[in-house]
Parts: sequence; C-alpha cells; structure tokens
Amino acid sequence: MNENKKPLIEINNLVKRFGSFIALNGVSLDVYPGEVHALLGDNGAGKSTLIKVLAGVHPKTSGVISIEGKEVDFSTPRQATDVGIGTVYQDLALNALTSVTRNFFLGREIKKGPGPFGVMQMKEMNEITISEMAKIGINISNPEQPVGTMSGGQRQTLAIARAIYFGAKILILDEPTSALGQKQQMEVLKTIKRVQRLGHIAIILITHNEIHARLIADRYTFLSLGEVIGKGMAEELGGDDIKKLMAGGAEIGDLRDELGA
Amino acid sequence: MNSESQSQRQESDRLEKKNWFIAIFARPEIGPLGVMILLFGLLGYFSIPEGEFSLNPFAGEGFNALGIRNNFRVIAQLGIVALGAGLLIIAGEFDLSVGSMIGFAGGCMAMILKWGFAIVIPYISFQGGFHFEGLKIFEITDVSPLTAILITLCMTLSFGWFQGWVIVKSGIASFIVTLGGLFFLRGLTEVCYRAFNRAPDQTAGSTTVTDLPDIKNIINVPGHGEMERDAAKALPNEDLLEILSNVPAQTVAKLTEQLSYINEKVAANKTAIQAKKMVETLEKSLAGAKESGNESMVEILTKKIEAGVEVPAVAAKAVTDLDIAKAYIDTIYTARPVANFFGGDILEPVFDWLYFTADWNVNMFGNQFAKGMYSCLMIWLILALVCYFVLSRTQAGNWIYSTGGNLNAAKANGVPTNKVKISLFMFTAFCATMFAACQVFEVNTADTAKGNLKELEAIAAAVIGGVVLTGGFGSILGIILGTIIFGIAKEAFFYIPGIDGSFYRVFLGAVLVSAALTNENIRKRIMGSI
Ligand SMILES: Nc1ncnc2c1ncn2[C@@H]1O[C@H](COP(=O)(O)OP(=O)(O)OP(=O)(O)O)[C@@H](O)[C@H]1O
Ligand SMILES: [Mg+2]
Repeated sequence: MNENKKPLIEINNLVKRFGSFIALNGVSLDVYPGEVHALLGDNGAGKSTLIKVLAGVHPKTSGVISIEGKEVDFSTPRQATDVGIGTVYQDLALNALTSVTRNFFLGREIKKGPGPFGVMQMKEMNEITISEMAKIGINISNPEQPVGTMSGGQRQTLAIARAIYFGAKILILDEPTSALGQKQQMEVLKTIKRVQRLGHIAIILITHNEIHARLIADRYTFLSLGEVIGKGMAEELGGDDIKKLMAGGAEIGDLRDELGA
Repeated sequence: MNSESQSQRQESDRLEKKNWFIAIFARPEIGPLGVMILLFGLLGYFSIPEGEFSLNPFAGEGFNALGIRNNFRVIAQLGIVALGAGLLIIAGEFDLSVGSMIGFAGGCMAMILKWGFAIVIPYISFQGGFHFEGLKIFEITDVSPLTAILITLCMTLSFGWFQGWVIVKSGIASFIVTLGGLFFLRGLTEVCYRAFNRAPDQTAGSTTVTDLPDIKNIINVPGHGEMERDAAKALPNEDLLEILSNVPAQTVAKLTEQLSYINEKVAANKTAIQAKKMVETLEKSLAGAKESGNESMVEILTKKIEAGVEVPAVAAKAVTDLDIAKAYIDTIYTARPVANFFGGDILEPVFDWLYFTADWNVNMFGNQFAKGMYSCLMIWLILALVCYFVLSRTQAGNWIYSTGGNLNAAKANGVPTNKVKISLFMFTAFCATMFAACQVFEVNTADTAKGNLKELEAIAAAVIGGVVLTGGFGSILGIILGTIIFGIAKEAFFYIPGIDGSFYRVFLGAVLVSAALTNENIRKRIMGSI
C-alpha cells in the first residue's frame, strides 16, 4: 500500500561508536509517512542508541541520515527538532514537579518580552495544551496540575502531543508502553494509532512487546548487537519470525532467506 | 443506563472542586506562615514590659519603632542572600561561598574607597637582587561609591561565573567547588587586608578598614561645599547662623515648630520620669519606716503617696537659632545618593509622621525613636519582587524549575541548563555583593569576618521556606517567610523569660529538619510516589 510513497527519513549504513565499543554497526532503515515502523531487538541491541543519534543527542560516527531526500547532520537536540524529529524518550523528558502546561512548552514557551525574561502567556499556553491533548484523545482536567500527579498513559500522551505540536514529522517513541498497566498500554496504542491516521507523520516505535508491535506496526526492523538482522512489512512476517528475530535471531541465516531481505 | 453514564464520565470529572479553605491550607507556604505568626506572637507578648498588660502584641518592645527597624535589618540582610541561594537550590545547585563572598566584596569596596583602584602587572626583576616589581597600567584614586560597587561587581560576578563554569563543565558537585570558593575567598580577603594595611615599616596590617568617611552623609552645605553632616553641625556658630540666614522663612517656621514639639515632649517626659522617681523614693522610705516600726512616719508617708506626688513641671527648652540651623543641616539631601541608596535610611517621612502626628515612635526621653528603616529592606524587597516575577512568570523561571526538577528533561527540550546554572551562580555572587554594599555604606567599616556563616543561614532560610534541596521545588514567597522566621527567632527567644537566649538555635534546628521533612513529603506527593 505504500509502494509509491517516498520515505520521510532514510538511514544508510549508520555507525556509532562509543570509544572502541561499536554500538551501531552499519544500520539502514527507511520510515514512511503515516506508518508505524517497529524497531525491535533484545536489550542492548542498540535501539536507544539509534534514536539518540537521530535525536541529535549523540553525534553519529559515520553513515548518512536524510530527511525528505536532504542529508542532515545534528550536533544538538535542537537541530533535530528543527528538521522535524520529535523524540519521546523512555523517561519522557518531563519535569514531574511542574505543571502540564509548563512541560508542554518547556524550552519553547510562548512569551512576550526580551529573551528569557519574556513573560509566559499562561492563558494561551493552557488553552493550546488542552486542545492538543484532546486531539490525540486525552481530556485533561487541569493544565496547571503537576505532571507527577498524571497517570503514566497521560504522561505519554503529553509527550507525544508536545512533539507533534512542535512540528514533529518523524515521531520516535522509545518503549512507550513499558511502564504502564494493561488499560493504559491500550490507551497509548490508541493514541499512536490516532497519530498514524493523521497520515503525514512517520512513527518509529521501539518496544519489547510483540503483541503491541503486531497491533499497530506497518513495518519492522530487527536489531541485534548493533546490526540489522531482519526487516519486512507486517503482512510478510509471521508471528514466529517476529518472536525469533526479537530474541536476537537464533536462526538468522534461515530467516534471511525466508524474508528475502 | 448505568454503563452509559459510566462511559460519559470524563477525566475532568475526577478532579474534585476544592473549596477556598482547603485550597489555602494545601499551599506549601502554610507551614512556614504558621511558624512565623507563632514567632511574632512570642516576640510581641514576651517583650511587653513586666507589670503591664496588653492584648496587643505590638505594645511590646519587640515591636516598638526601634525594634522593627533593627529586626527588619537582620531579616533583610539575610533575605538578600537567601533569594540568591534559594533560586540556585531550585535549579539544583548550592553555593557555599556566599559568606566569604560577602567578606570579599565588602573588603574590595572598602579598600577601593579608601585607597583607590589600580591594575598592576607583576613581573620579576633581578636588579638589586631577585624580587617582584609591579607595572601600574591603570589607576584611579578618589573612587565614587558607584564605581567602587561596579568594580567589585566585576570581580564577584567573574568569580561566580568561574565557579559555575567549573561545576557545569566538570560535573564536580557544587558542594565541593563552592566549598573551595569559601576557603579561597576568605583567605584572599585576609591576605588583601593585611597587604594593603601594611605599615610603612612593613609590619603586617590589621584585617579591617575603619576610617572611611561617612559617605552617605556627605552633603553640600551652602557656602561651604561638600562635607560630612556631623562636621557641618560642628561648624562655628557664626557659620551656622550664616547658613540659616539663607534658608527660606517657611522652612525655618516648620523646623521651629518641629523643634518646639520635640522640646515640649522631652520636657513632659522628664517631668513624668521625675514624678516616678519621687514615688519610688517615697515607697522606699515607707518600707523602711514599716520595718523600723515608726508608726507616725508610716502614716505620713502613706497619706503622701495616696495624695499623689506633684513635681514641678520641667520647662521646655527654648528653640535657639543654632538648633534650627542644625536641624536644617539634618534635612539637606545627601550628595552621595548611591551610598545613601545602600547604606542610608528609607521611609523617613513615615517615621517622622509616626513621631510628630501619630505620637508613637517616641523613646522614653521623648525623642524620636527610629528615623526610618534601613535601606537594605528596600533592596531586599526590590530583589524579591524581581525574583518572584522571574521565577513564576517568565521563561527563565520555567527553565530554573526544570533545570533543578529534571536536568535531562530540560536538556532534551533545549533548555540551556548550563547557562541557567552559571547565571544563578553569578546571581548569588550579585546578592552577596549587594549585602556587602549595604553593610559597608551603613557602618563605614569592613573587616574579614563579615558574612561568616551567612551561606548556611541562607540555605537554612530557603529550606525552612519550603525549598527542596534536591532542586525543582520552591517559591519566592516561601523563601521570604523562611527568612523572616530565621531572622526573628533569635529576637523572639531573647524576650522569653526564664530561658536561655541560645534556645533559638535549638528551635531553628528543629524547625529546619521538620521543614525539610515536610518539603520532601510534598515533593513526593507531587512526584506521584505517595
Ligand atoms: N553513552 C554510552 N557510552 C557507552 N556505551 C553506551 C552508551 N550508551 C549506550 N551504550 C551501550 O550501547 C549498547 C546499546 O545500548 P542501547 O541503550 O542502545 O540498547 P537498547 O537496544 O535500547 O536496549 P534496551 O532494550 O535495554 O533499552 C549497550 O551495550 C550500552 O551499554
Ligand atoms: Mg533502550
């Protein structure tokens, strides 16, 4: 169904070293708009490292990242957000001690006045926060409530809504369901589904939960020890393949043939 | 039916509407506010003189005009540094060098005012044996207060910047780096005092600067140029009269009226004091007579006391022209507004009104008790207002909270956390410098011990006011309350009869720890872990 679409982000042969440790060894993947791309792999496979490179937290060692055909290179997280990469980290990058609104606009406050001493336009910011959260399915009762008092699912939604509002075309979600209860996991999946239906946003989803991946992913890439060990469309992959590949690909050779990758 | 109403339940329905009563008591400032009111009560009631009874705590000595003036000076001075310390703690760091910074800044200012300022490049010379020489490339003498403050600020802000820079770049705990700053600055200050105070015979000098002029009281006396107020009042009589002859008649009339009011008041108080003394003498003799069993004497004395004593009214002193001239000199506005801004008094018209019109602000001799409040109160309040605005309303405020609340989150969202921290280290240095300026210009002396322990007091005040040491949580209102508690406790305990004055430390220690426990509890509740 996406054959004629162009990838929003293309990653080619990306290498990332931490000193002599090779965290990513030539990883390639393409992500298309309106698709959920599941990035799967065992602990320490390099998933978080990959998205940190994409988010501008770590500089890449070599390889090419291009967005809408243009090559990019980030040295700060700001540069990544500026070209439309919105990252929702495992820890969500929220300050639990301040309000929903203050978190929503953290670092990008709407203000009037000179530099950082500009006065925040709290009313406007509150309104935007409420409506943006509502767009992807959560009605918050009070935008002045501290984030610490929100449920885990609500926090996820806040982080996702924030990324989208600030122009994310590529939304990166690092284990968004890992710390949540059953019901909230489903809420978050629904939220992701809604973002997917918006159509113009490419989503990279990292998860250890095979069922969740099967529920919403359109495309898969499997990482193990810093390398891609398999990839494919959702239709092409059977449940057993996914399980094996997620565990690091016990029978890599066979699977490669099977998938024709 | 049931399930339908269930599905229409919204998230917003889950938040119970709080009434104002609960809302007020849920505020984190409520604890400190309670302690503050308690201390005010203690201070007020226990300072009511023995034998008098009053329901009004403001009848006590703790709240007479002089008491208010002095207490708020202690509070304001601590408050200035507590604001800096508090903001820095909210951003997740500490500054232990504040106290030494106060000593250093005060020393700088005093020495610059006394000897001037020069930039000297040292070099090694071998002419006539190995020794150091200095090449003076820039020198100013006779430095104005403003210049002295600005030069000092350059030094203290650079030091604050440097400490902040080392901390954010190296990742070393601010505790250690600023502890280093504490020793470094205190030592440097002592070295400088001794070096600059060195006598001509090269014996080491003292660690004080004492003989500064009373800069804030330098005035422009018509016909005599600039001089200190006290020197002007000590001018020869003919000069004083000459000065007075040029004062507009209206002013003279007003001053005359005020002076005669004062003289009458003083006379009335003297009469009252004499009457009281007389009664005391009579009562003493009565007691003596009773003891010796002199019946007739007892009778006479009792009658006399019952009849009430009449002492001749003390006549009010006449107002002389010299008095008026001196009173006029008192009204001349300072020629050094900057020194006066830091070290002078504020609210003088209010305190005059309290004396002349409200008949309060009167000491036991009938004179005006307090001339005004110390200027540091104003500086504290200005700083507090600015800090309140910045912390609660501006983008910078959100950055400060998030830097302390979740550093990584702040970084990931593009908050320049290093800049935030470095700026706040500079701000604590700024506050210390303001503190020092207030002290130097008020008392016209400086010494190395100034500001000792202030860093810990400032941190304690902030914590009592609800600031959490791990950062991210606290308010300016809380810091203000904490400062008042810390500043007033000593005073309040001083007046409680039968207990040692040092109990105030015991009290503060207990308050500090319970405040910290409460703060942690509130923080956990907000973090969602309770
Ligand atoms: N900053 C770093 N410095 C050195 N090594 C690192 C750094 N960050 C990650 N690594 C290493 O890189 C490897 C990949 O880590 P990464 O966090 O990307 O794994 P992951 O796939 O996200 O695992 P998980 O599923 O547990 O989250 C690990 O061995 C980790 O120790
Ligand atoms: Mg990870």
